This record gives sequence, structure tokens and C-alpha cells, in this order.
Amino acid sequence: MDRTALASALELNQLRLTESETEAVLAFFADMAKDEPALLIKELDEIEPMIHVVDLVNVLREDEASQPFTREELQKGAPEASDGCWQVPRLLE
Amino acid sequence: MDAYITKLDGAVAVDDTILTTGCPTTAGSRMLENFTSLFEATAVTKMKAAGYTLAGKTAVGEFGLDTLGETCFFDAPLGAAAKIVSEGEVMAALNVDLNGAPRRAAALYGVTFIKPTYGTVSRVGVVPCACSGEQIGVTAKSAKEAASLLAAIAGHDPGDGTSFSAGKYEYALDIPLAGKRVGIIRELMTGENTGKVETMAAKLRALGAEVTDISLPEVSLAKTAWQVLLAAETCNNLSRYDGVKFGYRTEEYKNIEELYVGSRSESMGLLAKAVILYGSDVLSKGRYDDCYDRALRARRRVREALAGAFGEADILLSPACLKAAYTKEELKPLLSVYEESVYTAFASVTGVPAVISGGVQMVSDTLNDALLLSAAAQTEV
Repeated sequence: MDRTALASALELNQLRLTESETEAVLAFFADMAKDEPALLIKELDEIEPMIHVVDLVNVLREDEASQPFTREELQKGAPEASDGCWQVPRLLE
Repeated sequence: MDAYITKLDGAVAVDDTILTTGCPTTAGSRMLENFTSLFEATAVTKMKAAGYTLAGKTAVGEFGLDTLGETCFFDAPLGAAAKIVSEGEVMAALNVDLNGAPRRAAALYGVTFIKPTYGTVSRVGVVPCACSGEQIGVTAKSAKEAASLLAAIAGHDPGDGTSFSAGKYEYALDIPLAGKRVGIIRELMTGENTGKVETMAAKLRALGAEVTDISLPEVSLAKTAWQVLLAAETCNNLSRYDGVKFGYRTEEYKNIEELYVGSRSESMGLLAKAVILYGSDVLSKGRYDDCYDRALRARRRVREALAGAFGEADILLSPACLKAAYTKEELKPLLSVYEESVYTAFASVTGVPAVISGGVQMVSDTLNDALLLSAAAQTEV
């Protein structure tokens, strides 16, 4: 990964890095890339991907409305809230 | 974090990546510095119902991604949970093992840790990071104490789609070891802890086990596969932190984009950022087929290789980490955690149980947890 690709990944993940962090992350990517050819061995071509180690069950609750927490409880940890709403900057000018 | 700890008989400390009510859950990150959950993890509820006391929270590396807790935003010792268990501050601890940190810590502090078979302990209430491999386990001074606490927290949870159907599990500690086959993984006999493996092998031989060397070259493939899968899952799971509904919010923003970027960038450490970016990369259109998809195939290959190994040995024996001691300084390079994970990744990526005892790692096939705990119990001094 080069700096251009990293800039794109940063934008996608809503992150920014300092210059020293950028150097460290690029070095990290270069090191990780050294191991990746192991995944390209022909032996894996015919093997089914194993997404999970156990059979997954879709967890769905009954289709009944419930209110496990109040609005006040849910907003207790909010960085900013007012009038029962989470406060964010204006989205439309 | 130590401030929460009280000296109580039967008291259990809980990793700070496990949700509790009444005290904060930070996951070792500035992002969750002041976060208190509205509900507690199923494992904590079950533990309390069985009569254990929640003594407090133990510090972890940011989201549990690192080697030994070195990336914790708060000042904390390496392997905090294993340390206080070894010092007798608490009877036991619940830890989340997603990249081997509790196993390494237990090996370094000479206590017992079990990462049970994936699916036997509910993950409801674990701060999610690498869900397909993370599992709540137990650290204790002895295999008996670990088994008792594990029996209390294990069992089906309808809220966890990966939870096995058995309602409860029992962990006998008296399974005879005579005639059991133990294989020392040749490829992992490196570093400063091979002597401990030889010591454990001698104890198992004395109990009648047949100990041989076994080759499992797929441990390297497991490491590579797990680093890809862990990063991909972490990237997705940590995308929820944006400074809007809970957690850290930057003070400097003019618009919503600056709020997101500032909050995430100021609150997350370098390892978390690097893993997120790597995860995003391996999931990208140009890399998915050659990286993420191949890692999923590698997971099955490793599982098949382990099945073959378990045809030759009931227990696989290896070191749990490279060195006999670590300093925070030497764990700073980003790659150290991945170099270390060669010892632990094969159990993480396949969900098989692993026990640390006598400073070494013992691994067995799915649902063979009791055999591992028996081996630990019967070889304790």
C-alpha cells in the first residue's frame, strides 16, 4: 500500500494519521504483505471458505415492540444531547 | 483500574472488554473512557447467579488486540488480570481471548487459563472486535478453580447465534492421562519457553501419557489467516465508534465529517488504527479474493490439519509465547503481536479449546476442554 492508497483508506474509515503514524502504518502494511503469499498456495483453490467455526443461527427476537431502555437511559452516555435528541453539527447549511 | 479491585474470597475480576453495569467498560480505549453499559454480559450474570462476586474490572490492551495489554490507554501493568490472580488479589478473572493475550499473560505469571471451545460460553456483552475467534475464558490459580467458574458461565444463550445448544457443561478433572497421546508441536519449539514444555512433557509422561513430537506446519498459515480475518472483523466492528451516541467526542469540529474523523483519530491508538486500515484493505474490491477469501479457505485447511493432528495426539503441547518476560518498550513495534500470534492463532482461528498451565499451552479438539483441565490439574505442583 502506498500513500495514495492509504489516503483513500483513511477517508473510507474516517481516520487521520500523524506523519510518524503514517510511516509506522506503511511499514506495518509492508510487513503484513510478506506473509500474504502463503494464502495463495494452490492447495487452497479447491477448499470451501470457512466463514465461521460453528454453524450460525440467526438470532431474532419475537416481532413485538418493546422498550428495554428509556430515552434518558440511552442518552446517559451521549457526548452531547438536548431535548431528548443526540446533538450533532448542522448537516444542511 | 486497580482501584476497583477489592480483596474478597470468591471475588472475580472481569476484563474491561466485558460489559458490566455500575462501573465503566473502557475496552482499554480512550474512545470508551467514560462509557458505562446499560446491561451486563451473560457470563457476568451467570457468574453472579452461581455465587461469585464481581470484584472489579481489569485493564486490557485497546480492544484486546495487542500482545499483553501494552496498548491500554490507561496506565496498567502488562497482563493485569493474570498478575492480580497470581498475587491473590482475586480468586479468578474472566478474560476475552481474541488474539492470545490472556494465554500469554497466564503463561508469564504461572497461572491457569482456559480458552474454552468456541460456542460454549456466551459472547453476549463482549465488546465486539474479532467475533469469529474471540471467546471469554477463565484465569485462576488452579485448574480446579478455573473449571468451577467455567462451569458456572458456560451453557447455551439464546441471544448468541454462535452458542452451542447444551444448557450446561461439566468439567471433570480426573480423566486418566495414562495412554493419552501428547504431541509436542515441532514448529513451535522456539524461543525461551521450550524448557517449560519439556518439563510439562515429563510430568505427563510420569502420569502414563505417551509423548511424541508432531509436525504441524499449518501453524504459520493459521497466523496469516487469523491476522487477515481479525483485521477484517475489527475494521467492521470498530466502525461503530463515531463520537455521536456514546464514547469520546473531539472538541474541535465544524461539521459532521470533522466530528467523526476527529473523534475516532484522537481516541484510538496506533495499533487499532493500523488494524482497521489493514482490515479495510483486505476487504477491498481488489484484494478480497486474494486475501480475505483465501484466509477463509486457509481457516478450513488449518481445521483439517488439526483434525489430522488430533488423530495422532489427544493433546498438542507448545509454548504460549516467544519470551519468558516482556517490557512495554519491546512490545511497541506494531508487528510484535502478529509475530507472537504464531503460538496462539491456530486455536483462535479454529475455535478449539486451549489451556495454559505450567507456563505452556495445551490444545485439544472441540469440546475436549475437560481433558485439558484434567491434564492441568494433575500436573500442578
